[in-house]
Amino acid sequence: MKRSHLLALAMILCMAFPAMSFAETIVKVGNILPLSGPSASVGQQGKQAREMAIEEINAAGGIKSLGGAKIEMLYADSKSDPNVGVTEAERFINTEKVHVITGAWNSGVTYPSTAVAERYGIPYIVPVSVRDTITERGFKNVFRIAAKDSWWTRDQFTFLKDMQAEFGEELKTVAFVYENGDWGTGFAAQWKKLIEGSGLKVVLDEPYSSSATDLTPLVNKIRRARPDVLLLVSNAADAILLTNTLADYKVSPKVILGSGGGHADPTFLSGCGDNARYIFDIVEWEADVNKPGAKEANEKYRAKYGTNLTGEAVDAYVAMYMLADALERAGSLEPAALRKALAETDLKSGPGMIVTYDAIKFDASGQNENAALSIVQINDLGKGLERITVWPKGARRAGYTPVFPMPKK
Amino acid sequence: MTQQNFKRNCLIAATLAAFALPLVVRSATYLHILIILYLYAYMTTTWNLVGGFAGVLPLGHAVFVGIGAYTSTVLWLQYGVTPWIGMLAGGVLAGAVGFLIGKPTLKMRGAYFALSTMAFVEGIRVMVENIDMLGPFNLNGPRGLNIPPLAHGEVNFWAFQFATKEPYYYIILTMLVGVLFLTWAISRSKMGFYLKGGGEEPDAAQALGVNVARYKVMAMVLSSFLTAMAGTFLAQLTLFIYPKSVLTLDLSFELAFIALIGGRGSIAGPIIGALLLRPVTEFSRIYFSSTLPGLHLIILGVVLIVVMLFQPRGLTEPLTNFFNSIARRFDASAREERK
Amino acid sequence: MDLVFIAQDCINGVLMGLIYGLVALGLTLIFGVLKVINFAHGSFLMVGMYVAYWAVTLSGLHPYLALVIIVPAMFLFGYWIQNLLIRPIFIAEKNVREPITVIIVTTGLWYVLDNLALLVFGPDYRALAPNPLKGQMLEFGEIFISVPKLYGAIATLATAGGLYLFLQRTRLGRAVRATSLDREAASLMGIGQWKIFNIAFGIGTAVAGISGAVLTPFYNVYPTVGIPFDIKSFVIVVLGGLGSIWGALVGGVIVGLIESVGPNFMASTWTEGIVYALFLLVLFVKPSGLFGQKQDW
Repeated sequence: MKRSHLLALAMILCMAFPAMSFAETIVKVGNILPLSGPSASVGQQGKQAREMAIEEINAAGGIKSLGGAKIEMLYADSKSDPNVGVTEAERFINTEKVHVITGAWNSGVTYPSTAVAERYGIPYIVPVSVRDTITERGFKNVFRIAAKDSWWTRDQFTFLKDMQAEFGEELKTVAFVYENGDWGTGFAAQWKKLIEGSGLKVVLDEPYSSSATDLTPLVNKIRRARPDVLLLVSNAADAILLTNTLADYKVSPKVILGSGGGHADPTFLSGCGDNARYIFDIVEWEADVNKPGAKEANEKYRAKYGTNLTGEAVDAYVAMYMLADALERAGSLEPAALRKALAETDLKSGPGMIVTYDAIKFDASGQNENAALSIVQINDLGKGLERITVWPKGARRAGYTPVFPMPKK
Repeated sequence: MTQQNFKRNCLIAATLAAFALPLVVRSATYLHILIILYLYAYMTTTWNLVGGFAGVLPLGHAVFVGIGAYTSTVLWLQYGVTPWIGMLAGGVLAGAVGFLIGKPTLKMRGAYFALSTMAFVEGIRVMVENIDMLGPFNLNGPRGLNIPPLAHGEVNFWAFQFATKEPYYYIILTMLVGVLFLTWAISRSKMGFYLKGGGEEPDAAQALGVNVARYKVMAMVLSSFLTAMAGTFLAQLTLFIYPKSVLTLDLSFELAFIALIGGRGSIAGPIIGALLLRPVTEFSRIYFSSTLPGLHLIILGVVLIVVMLFQPRGLTEPLTNFFNSIARRFDASAREERK
Repeated sequence: MDLVFIAQDCINGVLMGLIYGLVALGLTLIFGVLKVINFAHGSFLMVGMYVAYWAVTLSGLHPYLALVIIVPAMFLFGYWIQNLLIRPIFIAEKNVREPITVIIVTTGLWYVLDNLALLVFGPDYRALAPNPLKGQMLEFGEIFISVPKLYGAIATLATAGGLYLFLQRTRLGRAVRATSLDREAASLMGIGQWKIFNIAFGIGTAVAGISGAVLTPFYNVYPTVGIPFDIKSFVIVVLGGLGSIWGALVGGVIVGLIESVGPNFMASTWTEGIVYALFLLVLFVKPSGLFGQKQDW
């Protein structure tokens, strides 16, 4: 009895062993994200999008030029703390021996963790972290998918100009209202540069704290400044609170334009309900984009995780396909070869290429030079509130006329 | 070997082992984790000068970490002053701020002191987040300061940047040993006795004519100065600082946690606290954070609660008793030999 | 500066300030009796908000009617927490009147509760589905008054008044006051110290639950929602005087007014700094706060 057990065990071991000794190569990807603390929500979305992409890539046979190598994902919680980001980058590179790192959403964590990767020569893919300076430090191993903040703000102003021309409505005054973190103040600095020659006059320039318990004082300030345009940068909880308070106090500028982030959070629509109607928001991607595969990817994501893909989640999703493409071309896990392949990226098609623009291509600084933005309007067309692409005009949802300016409340 | 000798030899052996450790631990990850561990042990030891010996609970020591980090970084970025000098400058500035904070607050008792130090760290964070320029100094508001990493060939001692982890390891270890020695010297000095007396029996000390308040302020100034030096080290290690990383309540609280877990007011407390708490923090985050978000902080919370409930004076006491029982055995065997 | 604007800001400041006072009320009550600061108070508020959120969402009750579920649930929760976690510290540190260990234990509790909420409910920001209070405003020309805040302010006054009557007029209330003045003497008079501590902690937690019900109609619920209120409450109770019921309300209104009127003269982010500066000033000049008793510091 016992002997037969042993025999069986030995046989299993014998069968298992050869398989193990020819174990496939594994590509290890370390991901640094804020999984706890106030930014946990966006961290989770980034993680889910990455997971979905990697499952698809692995199911489709992995990286063929590496003998069908599978991609293994490792996640680390940065807690939005730069010091933790550095520790995790060191661990990923030295202990886990990852081949590539991605992250870190918070610009404050991306700065120092990319510096670590740069020192070791390990490629670091930044799906989202928008501060210009991230790709302006002469690093060779940093590749950013998302647009940088000077592009976001530039497109916001172009949008305002285009809409005035299209609808013959003149906008005269603008209020800048932004969270007082690195993201919001970074955007505000760009806005102040762009205001020259835009024909707009700044009537309010107001930072606020994302953790403020009451935004009524801020809303009253906006109400008294009577701006035509309200430009916002908000995180999730404050975007909801601000939108509801604006509606309570019947503040109705002609245009409210968000900057993604909190306004793009999946809970924004349910938290604000009808108060969110007619708000414009700048995003990198929207579920109604006219691109093959986009609808399917969004449906799949929603079935899996219960929310629509956000622009930031799509950046993470696409980043994984971009990485798979680079690995395929590199045919090697050598950092130098992989870096070269990433730098030469010119990804135009294939599954996962659901972004609005035609190709992912990096300039010398590692910035995705094609990263494009679009602007959506939140409206209810009879099927509940949804986000409808309106700008650029070529990408506008067929048959939709933007409501511009916002009707008075 | 007598008990005294045994203890001294153990201490020397431990110090030598710590200095020799990088010869065995080659992994940069573990060296980095050790560097952070020593850094926290260092900051907690300096915290202990006030929180342990002066018998109050400071919950705002991140102010001094921030002052140290910002001073040296601004001096380096704007004037090219080596962070080594920046470290001292930050220390002096922090000492002055420590004096201004300590003078009125150290008279308060218990909860009031704790809350006022919290208000200081929050107030200074708000200030830094709201100003880009402080006079000629560019603090860059909430966006923080990036220290450009130098290329391999350019790193040097004066730039306080190194290509490998070992120099950071030896710098912080030296700082830690130094500050431990200083604490030991103080605890045996008149100041140490007065502080301890003032912490435990403030009225009695006052009655004996000891100006406890003066010694407390002195301890605060010294603690601020030394804590700020850790701020410079942290800035040079991370190469990026912003208000939400160095001027936070989280950091201030963590120092108090380590001290209380280890045992307030004992020299070994911060070391033991850091040795126990840092690995719990780091490894529970590494192993649980991706699958069960938040579990690592639950574990930290449970550890804090359990230790405080069962060993409210910290873990140094039971560990010392255990150590002493071993030492006594050596003592006994030594006596045996002499016979 | 238009006077109408100032009037509008004052009204909002007073209403919101009273709600801050309500949050701080639980903290000050616990301090008054146990002489310890409960650092997990913000997390109790968070728990209260989740309880309110689920009670309203599942039962469809009016948020204020849901109080019949929230208050007992939170009372028992607080009663149990003090019995389980705080009492052993008092037993271990018999000679210390204000054990500092409690700060660490309650901070540990804060970490546990906040992250348990993250683990169980996820990081989502939840808002009550349309409820009878959401977005209701009273309008008098230029002046707008938020109805949920007005209700909240009334609930605050009612709670504070109820607590005052309880402490002054009932036998149990007198026992609570006796214990807060002198534990040993009270227990010599046959008042069970632990039972009083449990009850005081339970009431403090129940008040956090009431704050939760007041806030949920116009506020989001998420795991770290307690933290900004936590720090604000510390400031408020010290301004008003630790342990004083009316002090908490006055402290709350002061903070509310600074936050609301201040932005007329500066960026709103600076008002937070003004609050801390005032807090430190009060501590230096009159450490017992505006209404606190001298012995408490």
